[in-house]
Amino acid sequence: MIRTLNVIMVGTSLIGLIGVYGLKYSVEETASEKVRIERQIERQEADLSMLKADWAYLNQPAHVAPIVARHQDALGLAPTTQRQFGNLDGLPMRPIKEPDALALDALLESLDAGIDPIEQLIEMN
Amino acid sequence: MAIISEGATPIALDGGRKARANLTKARIRWVIVALALVFGVVAGRLIQLGAVVTDSTIEGQARDLITASRPAILDRNGLEMAVDIRVPSLFAEPRRIIDVDEAVEALRGVMPDLNETWLRNRLTGEKGFVWVKREISPAQRERIFNLGIPGLDFVTESKRFYPSGTESSHILGAVNIDNQGIAGIERHMDGEDVALLQSIGLARGNALSPVNLSIDLRVQHVMYEQLTDALTRYKAVAAAGVMLDVRTGEVIAMVSLPDFDPNNPVSAFEPVEGRKDQRFNRITSGIFELGSTFKTVTFAGALDSGKVRITDEFDARFGVRFGRFTIDDFHGKHRVLNASEVYKYSSNIGTIKLMQQMGKDDFRAFLTKLGFDKRVPFELPEMRNPNVPEKFSEIVAATAAFGHGLSISPLHMAMATAAFVNDGYMVTPTLYKRGEAEAKALYRPVISPRTSAYMRYLMRLNALEGSGTRMNKAALGYRAGGKTGTAEKVVNGRYSSGLNLNVFTSAFPLDAPRYAMVVIVDEPKRENEQSGVTAGWNAGEVTGRIIQRAAPMLGISPDFSEMLDANLVPVELR
Repeated sequence: MIRTLNVIMVGTSLIGLIGVYGLKYSVEETASEKVRIERQIERQEADLSMLKADWAYLNQPAHVAPIVARHQDALGLAPTTQRQFGNLDGLPMRPIKEPDALALDALLESLDAGIDPIEQLIEMN
Repeated sequence: MAIISEGATPIALDGGRKARANLTKARIRWVIVALALVFGVVAGRLIQLGAVVTDSTIEGQARDLITASRPAILDRNGLEMAVDIRVPSLFAEPRRIIDVDEAVEALRGVMPDLNETWLRNRLTGEKGFVWVKREISPAQRERIFNLGIPGLDFVTESKRFYPSGTESSHILGAVNIDNQGIAGIERHMDGEDVALLQSIGLARGNALSPVNLSIDLRVQHVMYEQLTDALTRYKAVAAAGVMLDVRTGEVIAMVSLPDFDPNNPVSAFEPVEGRKDQRFNRITSGIFELGSTFKTVTFAGALDSGKVRITDEFDARFGVRFGRFTIDDFHGKHRVLNASEVYKYSSNIGTIKLMQQMGKDDFRAFLTKLGFDKRVPFELPEMRNPNVPEKFSEIVAATAAFGHGLSISPLHMAMATAAFVNDGYMVTPTLYKRGEAEAKALYRPVISPRTSAYMRYLMRLNALEGSGTRMNKAALGYRAGGKTGTAEKVVNGRYSSGLNLNVFTSAFPLDAPRYAMVVIVDEPKRENEQSGVTAGWNAGEVTGRIIQRAAPMLGISPDFSEMLDANLVPVELR
């Protein structure tokens, strides 16, 4: 009775021992993996901050202005003058044109006669 | 058995069984003692380990503080003005370095600028942490890493980067190597809450939300460009400008030249053409006698007092005498002038009469009302007290009326000008974004809306017919108006007629005022033979060019209709 119990207990402790041993190693591995990923995140964050700074720098008026000045002649750039601004109220209305009644009549007549001027145009080409 | 034991001391012999039991008991006892000892040792070690305080500080500073980040600073449209970049910093643990000479040799191979003896002393000893070099480049980091020297390692630090360079230097200020603000808005932010967040270790990573300033970087750029141009065009020693939103008090742009590079804060102390301390912020921490631009203030006070009407006339035929002194006009007309002519021709005599009609004590009280006795409540730490005499004597009041004998900062002037055109409501300037509703809660009336309408008329009149015409020529269509001021500078205690401080205060568009601006040009020279040296020729023209460029960015479209100007004329004068 006791003997069997002992055997069982020794067995369990052995299994436990091996289990804990394996667990320890896997935890260590996970920990180092975590450190590695953290380092990677840190490096990527650093890269990201650099890229953001670059982007901010490239967008600065202070950076864009010299580029504009350099290509001013080639692109014909100049500061907008006051006269170049306008608004919708400043636009004249579209001139109202009477439809050409004679031409319209001629077109309808030729259509009645079975001649389609547009079709002729297409055929000519 | 009984016979043997009788009459004698009985001999008790333990049976085999009992003896074994006793032995077992003793063994158990020993085992317990041994186990207790072993566990005692283990427990003792645990307590010992628990009591060890690991030194996580870096040369006396918490590690969090060094790696702490600052919030990004954005302009009002979300463009970055200051960002954090992560850079590696090299540190050493001298007690873990095996061969100091080898380490020194190898390090100097990567960074030759390091002093050999300094480095050797640095790496020798039993210390746990010493900085070798802060803020190195990623390439250097890679090379040092590949050297494989034990005891060298890196910390990622946050470094402040200002993409706009010098353009907004005085607004932003600078930070030191530990990322603490030492000047400008950076310092102010530390005073607010960033320092607290950093100290409790919350300011790490990108946790901090960015801060929006009131600055419009595009307008800031225009102002910077125009003032830089003014420095060379007029061979001036300094130039500065500030633009305020009159309704909210937000600072849209603020430039002071010469300036410095916030990415290299030491440059703030570099001399300019042999002169030291020239790179201060002239808008907030410079106080000047602002000359004739101050007449705007005198007019506002006098018209608002009710003792002077816009239709009044003033005898400007003869100079005003105070004992030995006679104050005369610069552009003398020497006739009777009405109030708008006094402003238009910038008559000293007329302005003195105007002030006297108001009363010198009332005039002094008006300056107090405008806040000219103390610093402008503003975020920047670089501020200076204005210098306004406590009590005005007759002559001091007279000179003060046209802006001499008292010094205020250009920011004071900008704030007052903004209030004059904004229906008389003064609001303290700010560098942070502020909504109109929020600003309205801070409104403090300094003059009546009626007087404000007079001031708008006078400023526009001066641009159309007076000393501001050169400004108006550039800013045509944007309904700008303003006042010039050409103040002789005090050199060795005397006014010098050769050296001027030229000022132009302006506001636009005057039919519905949105922005007020003060531009100063220090010691300008003639642009060419035909041009003059008074403020209209330099500060005025600069103002005009800034408005011409900036107004469309601020959403103000040009309008040439003469009705707008006609509407500004007060009913009394129509």
